[in-house]
Amino acid sequence: MLKLIVQRLLALVPLLFIVSVLTFSFTSLLPSDPVDLIIGDAGTEEQYAMVRERLGLNEPVHLRYLQWLGRAVQGDLGSSFFNSVSVMGAVMQRLPVTLSLTAMSALIAILIGVAAGVAAALRPRSWIDRFATLGATFGQAVPNFWFGLILVAIFAVNLRWFPATGFTPLTESPWEWLRSVILPSIALGTSSSAAIARQVRSAMVGVLQQDYIRAARAQGLPFRRVIFRHALTNAMVPVVAVLSFQITVLLGGALIVEQVFAINGLGTLAIAAVRQQDIPMLQGLVLVMVGLVVTVQLATDILYGLINPKARPS
Amino acid sequence: MTSNPEILSSAGSRRSRWRPDGAHVITAIAAAVLVLLAFLAIFAEWVAPYDPLRQSLMEALQGPSAAHWLGTDDLGRDVLSRLIHGCRIAVIAAAEATSIAVLLGVPIGLFIGYRGGVWDWIVMRIVEAVVSIPGIMVAIAIIAILGAGLHRAMIALGILFSTSFLRLARGVVLAEREEVYVRSARVIGASDRRILLRHIFPNIAPPLIVQVTLTVGAVLLAEAGLSFIGLGVQPPQASWGTMLNTAAAFMDFNWFLSVPPGIAIILTVLSVNLLGDVLRDSIGRGIAIETRPETPAARFAAAPAAAQPVALPRRADEILRVENLQVMVPAPGGEVPVITDLTFGIARGETLGLVGESGSGKTLTGLAILGLLGAGVRATHGAILLNGRDLRTASRAEMEEVRGNEVAMVFQDPTTSLNPAFTVGSQIAEVLRVKQGLTRAQAWTRAVELIDRVGIPRPEERARAYPHELSGGMAQRVAIARALSCNPSLLIADEPTTALDVTVQQEILDLFRDLQSEFGMAILFVTHDLAVAADICDRICVMYAGEMVEMAGVDALFADPRHPYTSGLLHAMPHASDRMPPLPTIRGNVPRPGDWPTGCRFSDRCDFRIAACDARIPLLGRERLVRCIRAGELELEAAS
Repeated sequence: MLKLIVQRLLALVPLLFIVSVLTFSFTSLLPSDPVDLIIGDAGTEEQYAMVRERLGLNEPVHLRYLQWLGRAVQGDLGSSFFNSVSVMGAVMQRLPVTLSLTAMSALIAILIGVAAGVAAALRPRSWIDRFATLGATFGQAVPNFWFGLILVAIFAVNLRWFPATGFTPLTESPWEWLRSVILPSIALGTSSSAAIARQVRSAMVGVLQQDYIRAARAQGLPFRRVIFRHALTNAMVPVVAVLSFQITVLLGGALIVEQVFAINGLGTLAIAAVRQQDIPMLQGLVLVMVGLVVTVQLATDILYGLINPKARPS
Repeated sequence: MTSNPEILSSAGSRRSRWRPDGAHVITAIAAAVLVLLAFLAIFAEWVAPYDPLRQSLMEALQGPSAAHWLGTDDLGRDVLSRLIHGCRIAVIAAAEATSIAVLLGVPIGLFIGYRGGVWDWIVMRIVEAVVSIPGIMVAIAIIAILGAGLHRAMIALGILFSTSFLRLARGVVLAEREEVYVRSARVIGASDRRILLRHIFPNIAPPLIVQVTLTVGAVLLAEAGLSFIGLGVQPPQASWGTMLNTAAAFMDFNWFLSVPPGIAIILTVLSVNLLGDVLRDSIGRGIAIETRPETPAARFAAAPAAAQPVALPRRADEILRVENLQVMVPAPGGEVPVITDLTFGIARGETLGLVGESGSGKTLTGLAILGLLGAGVRATHGAILLNGRDLRTASRAEMEEVRGNEVAMVFQDPTTSLNPAFTVGSQIAEVLRVKQGLTRAQAWTRAVELIDRVGIPRPEERARAYPHELSGGMAQRVAIARALSCNPSLLIADEPTTALDVTVQQEILDLFRDLQSEFGMAILFVTHDLAVAADICDRICVMYAGEMVEMAGVDALFADPRHPYTSGLLHAMPHASDRMPPLPTIRGNVPRPGDWPTGCRFSDRCDFRIAACDARIPLLGRERLVRCIRAGELELEAAS
């Protein structure tokens, strides 16, 4: 197992290198001169030269990349051009918000997706099968932020069961935290749950025809045990492989859904950064996102190895 | 028994995706929606009742009315008119971003796929890096460079979605590059450009069309999302995304504002996706033609079931007795029998061979005993008495109790009958824990003992192996150990040696014999191989087209076959000694269920057929049973 983890980590090195180069080259791709952004229109030649020196823009590009990378690895992503707060600080402050949404919606997507997928596979053509198929078709067509708006209209504006906007940190009040993330998470997770249900269904239908399922039943193991232990473990193998992709989708979706519920997460930070051409902030956001995605991928790879012995390096 | 067990075998027979009845209607509606969209996009100025930008603060945030069918927004602008003008934005957005994605992705994909080498490596690493970032974040980053606005946002989305076209084109090139016609074009000296354009590019078209439909749907959603967060289309221009942005701000005052643009997006994306599905199916159909087995209607269904119950003498010490068993399978227009009028018994320590060609119903007999027939397949008549209890009428819970404890089964292919996800030892231990209530430690110890007992060296180590780490013979030994773990009184072995090497076959047969003398269980040995049956069985029951045609002790059967089918089977047996003359076969095939002749079911393939064979033939005899009216008169050849 350790071997698998090391293998996966090594495979990440080229990816992280490319991402860091892409992110770094951001600075030179932007239409605006970062120095102008900082000193404004009224700056003098001297000020200009000084800021340029301070940002290290006079040094050769590869040196600048290495310095930037060295600082980034240590968690120093520079400070915002706009209000000189530390990028890492700002991102870390918002991260729990976006992570709450992503994790909660992933939980919802997986729970509902697996349950519906198994139920549909057990009874092909039953109402639950039709519902899951229909749900998957609709799930691909309904914008998650629109679904969020509708949820707000029904459950927040009309029924007043949940707050329409805002976010309560988990550390402050777990109950209020749950109330504040439940609507956005449903808005976000529903379409993924339909996609996962479709995957689980097709994998499960395939697995249920296998000899080892019939053999387990012939051995007199209880039906539930055969379905949930013997069949589901195997059916999850292809599902886990696509799970990291779904979670990446959820993370991206969270950036938009946050806006519906006026939640101050990474999405709000990103939108402000684009408007202000705040390069370090954007760089930091991209790196943190990549870090999250890579972590999720690593976790699903390990899970994949756990449930699929053939994937483990011998 | 509820519908649960049947799922296990045949859920996949209906694997084809569920489509609503009247799929054509839905396709037509989807096409109509898209035509309407195009019409509105082109003629927006003429169709829309108002100027989409005309403000009228007096009429702000009104609900639907005769003057404003869909109401007005915060600035008193007509929602319907803005919706109609939004169609144009949607069409422009989809067309722009998709074209950019195709024009950027396909050429690069073709190039790197064809060239390979360092270009391929670099570009693919960049693609991987981009794909590992959430798409919307990539779009946001590109918009940071280009600036906000419809066209810039669509360039951003075009770049984002070009990665999927790039990978698609590259994949096709990699697949086609080594095809014979491409190589021969290269041999005759065609230029790279010519090969790419004339020989490889046409193969990209079908998957490209499918990918385009998927992308159009995704672009529409992404554009709406970007406009919604203010990075796409800029106000006051009317797009569905910006309308939702407005709606979000006024949720408390007029939540209806969010409905029309949302419905418009959903309808459009749904229509595009549905048409894409249809397109994908019709392109895919060229590859895999769906074949529907034309099972004939239930012609046989009217035939009398269990017309002549056989008075087979009950033998002493009988573990299993099957009596007048009939099994029906679902078929278009009703049910068809696959097993009729089957009666036999097996005594303690005895091995009964169930022999016949595929389609004779021998495997189904085994599954019927276990109560694991499959979807819609039912044992409709008769009794299956195991240790005196009728299993045919047992409840689901009772059957679960019986399986494993009183009857167990060994399957044909050991590599597929063991669960690939668990170690073999844990699969045996699980049965012991669940069925016999052993503790974890006890069960493991016993599992290792059993693995040792079936002749596997270094059992402790092998118990920790996964099925794929064992050879076929080794895996079958494990499967046998699992089947015997609860000491059942009946073991059903379904072609347990067929999937194994010839040398291993003999070892497994010896193991069965050994274990039988130790445990004393009865064995129902299902096989098509008479040589194997001769080796292991005490008595043999020959089955043909769902019924028993002959039953006798193994020596008597081989020395003096009474049924023409048995004789034919014996002659079709290969012998190592004589390669010549060519192996005789029985002409024709086993008729399918529902196609059985009303009289003797073998008559169509029989050399001795007479007029009387067209009537129903009874199974006659006492110790030896034969279902042939000419059994006494024919001089059939014994096994050579």
